[in-house]
Amino acid sequence: MNTPEDPIDALLRGENVYHSDNGFTARVVRQLPRRRRNWLRPAVMLAAVIIGAALAWWWLPLKNMPALDFSKLQSLDSNVLSTWLAVLVVMGSLAWGTITALRREE
Amino acid sequence: MSFTDTDLIARVLLSGDQNAFAELVRRHQSPVRAFLTRMTRGDAHLADDLAQETFLKVWQKLHTYRGSAKFSTWLFGIAFNELRSAARKRSELLSADLEETAKEKPAIDTNQGLRLDLAAALERLQANERAAILLCCQNGLSHEEAAQILDSPVGTVKTHILRGKEKLKRLLSL
Repeated sequence: MNTPEDPIDALLRGENVYHSDNGFTARVVRQLPRRRRNWLRPAVMLAAVIIGAALAWWWLPLKNMPALDFSKLQSLDSNVLSTWLAVLVVMGSLAWGTITALRREE
Repeated sequence: MSFTDTDLIARVLLSGDQNAFAELVRRHQSPVRAFLTRMTRGDAHLADDLAQETFLKVWQKLHTYRGSAKFSTWLFGIAFNELRSAARKRSELLSADLEETAKEKPAIDTNQGLRLDLAAALERLQANERAAILLCCQNGLSHEEAAQILDSPVGTVKTHILRGKEKLKRLLSL
């Protein structure tokens, strides 16, 4: 035997009538912002990394780098220190850029 | 050929298809607008504004929808959050009881023979009771789904429903 429906449930279901659209959907669609293209951000990032790598190759004295001598580093030899610091900063930036570009956006 | 919600969502995500999104809005606008109208005590303009904001949020956040819950549950969750933030900003328009500060309104004295219609009776409930009743009893959501939407424990939702129904029965002299 079926149990009788709760009178409140029955009333509420009876009141659950369809809300006619009356142009609501059209209004929502008109206000939609342009959807961001998912591929655009990583593509721009990768392009920036490639350009950055090319500039680093061009500007950094990679062919005649001072040897990484820790005694000179400890004595704060500005020539060795600044060159290696620049290389580390550039490499770090390129690595960060690559990771950011390839990481899937949540 | 009719597409499922999942098909439409995939089309929106893959190609930003506005027609697919419009179909999603068309399918779900009625329960969302009805829910918000009831929650704003019959203020249809405010409810429509909130419903529009809800669907615009859906457009922006659709990529975060994981499909573990029904789309309608996720949608009601966004609608309820919109309502909550509106309640914080516009306390003169919405009942402050959304912020759990409500004092129970005096019940109608049924001895006066006053019989309210359902809409008026619903307005006399606390917002959380009203929301739980509308979601579960009118829209057929489970207690667990309502709990997810209202960000409350399932037990609390069940209590809101029981208490709300008792009040409604009293108010409607059922």
